[in-house]
Amino acid sequence: MADHLLEVKDLSTYFFTHAGVVKAVNGVSFTLDRNETIGIVGESGSGKTVAAMSLLGLIPDPPGKVVEGALMLGDRDLRTMSDEEMRSVRGNDIAMIFQDPMTSLNPVMKVGKQVAEAIILHQKKSKSEARRMAIEALARVGIPDAPKRAEQYPFEFSGGMRQRVMIAMAVSSNPDVLIADEPTTALDVTIQAQILDVISEMQAQFDSGVILITHDLGVIAEVADKVMVMYGGRTVEYGPIDEIFYNSHHPYTWGLLSSLPRLDASQKARLTPIKGQPPNLLLLPEGCPFVGRCPYELQQCRGEWPPEEAGGPAHGVHCWLPADQRLALRAALPQFRESAA
Amino acid sequence: MTAYIIRRLLQLVLVLFGVTLITFSMLKLVPGDPAVALAGKGATNERIAFVRHQRGLDRSFYVQYYLYVGRLFHGDLGDSLYSGRPVRTLIWEAAPVTIQLAIAAVLIELLGIPLGVYSALRQYSFWDTALTTAALILWGIPVFVLGYFAMYIFGLKLNWLPIGGVGPTVLWVIPSSWESLKTLILPALTLGMIEVAYISYMQRASMLEVTRSDFIRTARAKGLSERQVIWGHGFKNAVIPVMTIAGIDLGALIGGAIITETVFNRPGIGQMIYLAINQRDIAVIAGGVLFATFFFVFANLLVDLGYAWVDPRVRLGE
Amino acid sequence: MADWDSDKPGRDPYGSNLTEAPAVDARRTQEVVEEIVETGAKPLGLWADTWRRLKRNKLALVGLGIIIVFLCVGTVETVFYQAHWHVRSSPDTRANQRVPGYLAPYDPNEVNYALSPQGIGSPPSWKHLFGADFLGRDVLSRVLIATRIAMLVGIIAVAIALALGLLLGPISGYYGGAVDSVIMRIADIFFAFPYILFVLLIMSVLGQGFQNVFIAIGVLGWASFARIVRGQILSVKSMEYVEAARAQGAGDLRIIFRHVLPNSMAPVYVAVAMAIGGAIATEAALSYLGIGVQPPNSSWGLMIAESVEYLAAGNWWWLLFPSLALVATVFGFISFGNGLRDATDPKLKE
Repeated sequence: MADHLLEVKDLSTYFFTHAGVVKAVNGVSFTLDRNETIGIVGESGSGKTVAAMSLLGLIPDPPGKVVEGALMLGDRDLRTMSDEEMRSVRGNDIAMIFQDPMTSLNPVMKVGKQVAEAIILHQKKSKSEARRMAIEALARVGIPDAPKRAEQYPFEFSGGMRQRVMIAMAVSSNPDVLIADEPTTALDVTIQAQILDVISEMQAQFDSGVILITHDLGVIAEVADKVMVMYGGRTVEYGPIDEIFYNSHHPYTWGLLSSLPRLDASQKARLTPIKGQPPNLLLLPEGCPFVGRCPYELQQCRGEWPPEEAGGPAHGVHCWLPADQRLALRAALPQFRESAA
Repeated sequence: MTAYIIRRLLQLVLVLFGVTLITFSMLKLVPGDPAVALAGKGATNERIAFVRHQRGLDRSFYVQYYLYVGRLFHGDLGDSLYSGRPVRTLIWEAAPVTIQLAIAAVLIELLGIPLGVYSALRQYSFWDTALTTAALILWGIPVFVLGYFAMYIFGLKLNWLPIGGVGPTVLWVIPSSWESLKTLILPALTLGMIEVAYISYMQRASMLEVTRSDFIRTARAKGLSERQVIWGHGFKNAVIPVMTIAGIDLGALIGGAIITETVFNRPGIGQMIYLAINQRDIAVIAGGVLFATFFFVFANLLVDLGYAWVDPRVRLGE
Repeated sequence: MADWDSDKPGRDPYGSNLTEAPAVDARRTQEVVEEIVETGAKPLGLWADTWRRLKRNKLALVGLGIIIVFLCVGTVETVFYQAHWHVRSSPDTRANQRVPGYLAPYDPNEVNYALSPQGIGSPPSWKHLFGADFLGRDVLSRVLIATRIAMLVGIIAVAIALALGLLLGPISGYYGGAVDSVIMRIADIFFAFPYILFVLLIMSVLGQGFQNVFIAIGVLGWASFARIVRGQILSVKSMEYVEAARAQGAGDLRIIFRHVLPNSMAPVYVAVAMAIGGAIATEAALSYLGIGVQPPNSSWGLMIAESVEYLAAGNWWWLLFPSLALVATVFGFISFGNGLRDATDPKLKE
């Protein structure tokens, strides 16, 4: 009996191109249990989506390849599965919803049919049975007048409703793991909360684990139990949500937190974005990818990847800065002055 | 959908009026005085003036146009200046030949659809590059060049197929015998091949674009097999625009077949117009062009409506 | 002409069950890298970037090469036509006649019955690479001279259409409303006619001769360009830099022609390339039908038409060489235009 619902150890996914090797995901590990939500945070290009796609075996090969890592779904090894087995995992044991519901649904197929397709595929139901279940699924995610709506096409739905359809499709087969890749980024702020609620409800109904991928810390704060911060393909910090928000130990995390506008900041305080540009993934250093943007860079940062250190309970960080120095630097940051941990 | 249909019909009426206006203007702009031509050789000035008045040629432009449109409503396209026969009769005789060719050519060009899909699925493979290059070359070959080459090789050198003319038909357009069919093969293939190139290129492009889209990614993430993804989700989306091309071609070939008909000596609308050009018979030219244009406009309308019916975004009013 | 879907290069990344194992592909991997690496790459200038993308398309490069050869020959012939009148005498004409110049192995209009013993010309030989026609005229020279006509038609006709289109399109797109409706309805009417028939209709009124060919093709071609430019303008109109210009007090015309138009031109260049190819093909068709270039002038279409009679008698070279020239040239423009379209397509993931 496995310890965790999903266990990822040292996942590395590289893209072998004629311009060089792109280490999109480099030694990433995390675990996920039932009823737990892990938030994966990072900028574009940090590798979060590639990590998720690696789980589902959806990495284009060539040029991409999962070169290393253990991907265990319970007792099952995802990496050694055959194509057929993998297809039965997708949408069934592990389901994924994507960022833009407008383009992620087939525009010329009725919504009910798209949901039913997943049901027929994984649960071997008859067409009429699947239709009935599809309507149920739509109702469950909060789409009013589900029988009528099931006969409509995606363009007849609003953005939030479309995302609900995606969710309905994804959870139609009671998945153990639900991966949500930027589910709210393309939606209005007011709708965001609703969608997050729907995801939480579904999670509760099926006792699933949720992987929430986003660049928005505000979303993380709402729903995540634990957080993994990624940069340049690496995990720079991970831990329970309180630890990450109130006891963060990595300069990049500080940067992310600092760039959040705060209600209690003075009117004159300016927003502080992280200086610099996301890294060129072809030219990643051997060490920490944050070099060049990190205000506290040390000599050894470029050449060697720092080993994991504990920053607190179940809280790991990879940084060459000594722990006491980190605390001092953090306390000096304007954002953290009010919330000294 | 109804709103769409109404809008489309209004536009149709507007366009048709514009077309008739332009055609009529062309008729008027042809140098020479039609009254003189109609009055015959050696007519006196009084006779010419009489003819001019009788035919309404002395009225204003707008009145003449109004009368012209009135006659069109009755199907009267005037008479040939050369033979005196009603243009409408000439068209009636010539149309089946052209329609037969158009249908045959479109049937052939539909072959481009599987070619395009195949090419897209095996992108950058040898076949794909070969097909795409061939398509690009064929696309640019003028019809008469291809026609003569085909005629030379298959007609003269190999003597497999006749090099011109038409055979008897059944049901107005279907060749009624093998001999009759043989006269259709070369011209249809000539026209069809060029269009096959275009359609396969478009189908390939459409297919490639569709398979890159997000909903295909979703379909894969659902766990569907590759076959289900490509055919169930991809192809259905990708084929829609290409079908409309085929439909439009059917309409366009009525007029566009003029070169092919000249090359292969088929007495269709195209050849009718060609002969009229040589005979300076503006009535026949204008009548033929008008007929072909109306046909084309209606074909376009049908294609648009068909597209609207197939694509729910248009049908239900986005 | 039909609207074109974009053609995005890039391979199906998931290795379809329906295909064999795909070979590793340099182009696609390069693109994947660029997909992943969203920033950090050195930004190139717009033209340099287009050229870089264009270079990868072999067919387009071939097309460009053909276009360059074609333009060189055409320009040379035009220059010689104007500038180098010469004096010719031959048994068929009055002695010492002044005729336009040319740069070719032989005088294209010089009749030489010795080369046409049975009245069907003579096949290609070392002295006459493309053979001779039924009047003994050197086919190669005639093909070269016809290049001039083709080039002139391509450039002038398209220039006329472009000028009209670039005038009406931006006006239509920028002002919108009634102006837009009217202009677009008129364009609809132009699109309603089958192209070749419309050209024929106009030629019937104007009469034969190749000057009229320019006019006919040019006047009919404005609608395509206008529609393309209008589309671009509509999408650009709402962009911020137009607002910025307006905020600075720029007047409407200035905004259109100095700000909006220059940024909308990419698809127009593509359309121009295609249109030139189309114009050349149309001129050939018209000359073939007998209402374009008239004998004794030389145009590829006309040569093809003239040669048909003698095909059965065995003269294939008179048909072949002008056909090759025509097909190659049209292909060149189409292929280059296609490549240009792919290279400037913003939807291409790069």
